[in-house]
Amino acid sequence: MKKPLILIVEDDAWLAEQQARVLRQAGYETSFAPHAIAAIEAVDDVHPDVIMLDVLLTGSTAFALLNELQSYGDTGVIPIVLCTNLAADIKLDDVRPYGVKRILDKATMAPDDVVAAVRSVL
Amino acid sequence: MSAKREAHEQLGGGLLEGNIPSLVAAAHELKSPLALMRQLSLMLEAGDLSVMESQRMLRQISLTSERALRLTSDLTRSARLDDAMFNLEPINPQQLCEDIVHELTPLFNAYGRDVRLLPRRHPLLLVANRDLLRRIIMNFSDNALHYANSNAAIEIQIKALNDGQTIRLGVRDYGPALSSDMWRTLQGKLTSAPQSVHARPQSSGLGLYISSQFADAMHGKIGITRHRDGATFYVDLSASHQLSLL
Repeated sequence: MKKPLILIVEDDAWLAEQQARVLRQAGYETSFAPHAIAAIEAVDDVHPDVIMLDVLLTGSTAFALLNELQSYGDTGVIPIVLCTNLAADIKLDDVRPYGVKRILDKATMAPDDVVAAVRSVL
Repeated sequence: MSAKREAHEQLGGGLLEGNIPSLVAAAHELKSPLALMRQLSLMLEAGDLSVMESQRMLRQISLTSERALRLTSDLTRSARLDDAMFNLEPINPQQLCEDIVHELTPLFNAYGRDVRLLPRRHPLLLVANRDLLRRIIMNFSDNALHYANSNAAIEIQIKALNDGQTIRLGVRDYGPALSSDMWRTLQGKLTSAPQSVHARPQSSGLGLYISSQFADAMHGKIGITRHRDGATFYVDLSASHQLSLL
């Protein structure tokens, strides 16, 4: 059975490495994109089942990426988990129309929370 | 009062006198390394890691804390620029940049990257404060480490401009081309006080603003050159004429 693939969009390579490690231990496959442009290419290449998305990215913000994803029928349905230092400032209801299902606060989350978040949206 | 001066008041005074946007910018810049160190610590605490993985994480914590400490040190230095007397002296930029490369190499290597100084045939001397100039180049290099492509080295360059009257120290990164919007935003960040992350979501621009202040204190200026495959952040300073006396 094919393992679900999680695309981690995160400009901090070391944090992405931690998230990937935890997700792989939980039985998921992972792919990594350091910025929005790479993320769009990765979405086309690997067809992720979930996108774990940081908000403050190099170049464009996550919202530019979310808009791009929503422009297409196939990418608009990919569940998004925002993982951000700005969690306190973002309301889930405001970003739900962009496909965001969960918001994780980088400052308070436990490493396993990424697994719980991914399970809850799959 | 000049715009730069006003901006300086906002940051320098702000940190001491309760300027909220500056404090928010500083807090935001420090939140990322703190959050990373917390995640790494929690992973270590949970155990179930190989010795090699544990060692790698401990190294990452140590290097991340050093980066965060550099920022706090720059902030306090920046807030006290008016109070301090800065000695401007003739400095060999080649030697200074070699020291910086030596200091940054462990951090870059830990990210699987390389930082190098492009060699110069003829020696140059500039007038600067060694500590402030070092902080500017470290800031630019940190910025490049964060934004450049993972497979390309960061290059520190030293050039003479204006018939040798000006010395330019630049940090060249190879990464995604800056969009026109991003370019305009960055130009603004060179001289504007950092703003709330709500106003400028991608970055507070704090590091650039601090570098701008340090350059100002040495009668220099910082700038950005946009390339199709990245950017060069530079500081221009006056050349020292002592070399011509030798």
